[in-house]
Amino acid sequence: MSFLGRGPGNATNGGINMDKIDMALTELDTVTDFFNRMVQSCHSKCINARYAEAELNKGESVCIDRCVAKFNDVQKKVGEKLQSRTAANAGAAPGGFGAL
Amino acid sequence: MDFSSFTSAEQAHMTKIIEKRQMTDFLKMYANLTEKCFNACCNDFTSKALSSKEDQCILNCTEKFIKHSERVGARFAEANADIQAAAQQQQS
Repeated sequence: MSFLGRGPGNATNGGINMDKIDMALTELDTVTDFFNRMVQSCHSKCINARYAEAELNKGESVCIDRCVAKFNDVQKKVGEKLQSRTAANAGAAPGGFGAL
Repeated sequence: MDFSSFTSAEQAHMTKIIEKRQMTDFLKMYANLTEKCFNACCNDFTSKALSSKEDQCILNCTEKFIKHSERVGARFAEANADIQAAAQQQQS
């Protein structure tokens, strides 16, 4: 593989495959973004904004567990739907919406 | 994520980038949480000082958010482990 056409910004790659790094970073960013969205969504849906105490109460804890499970399921469902639509539209297009 | 195919130079590079991301992620979370707790706790502007009630609310809000994100993280990790185990079983 050649890194020669990568410009001055990436000139110092001593034996580092920048494509591989980029791919890993994209994956990392995707998972991080997904996780942060999950934290935000489940927080606004499950946590009482009165803040009378610092502990998660029983109801909130159960809500969080279910919220995470559902969020994951929704991701899967949306992915499947998008994939089937893309496949239907473009014939045999390889989808990129599989597992994380 | 699987970094086993990385050379040590690549791993070192990756670690450096990840550390930088963790810093920016933390600052983003800090700003976000400030907004969240401010909006939840501060609604009375007859004084410029935080009342003891507001103070307590902010402490609870912060503490609770940390516990919340820890719990989400734990469940998220479990779900991922399940997916990975299922994928492995399918391979063999």
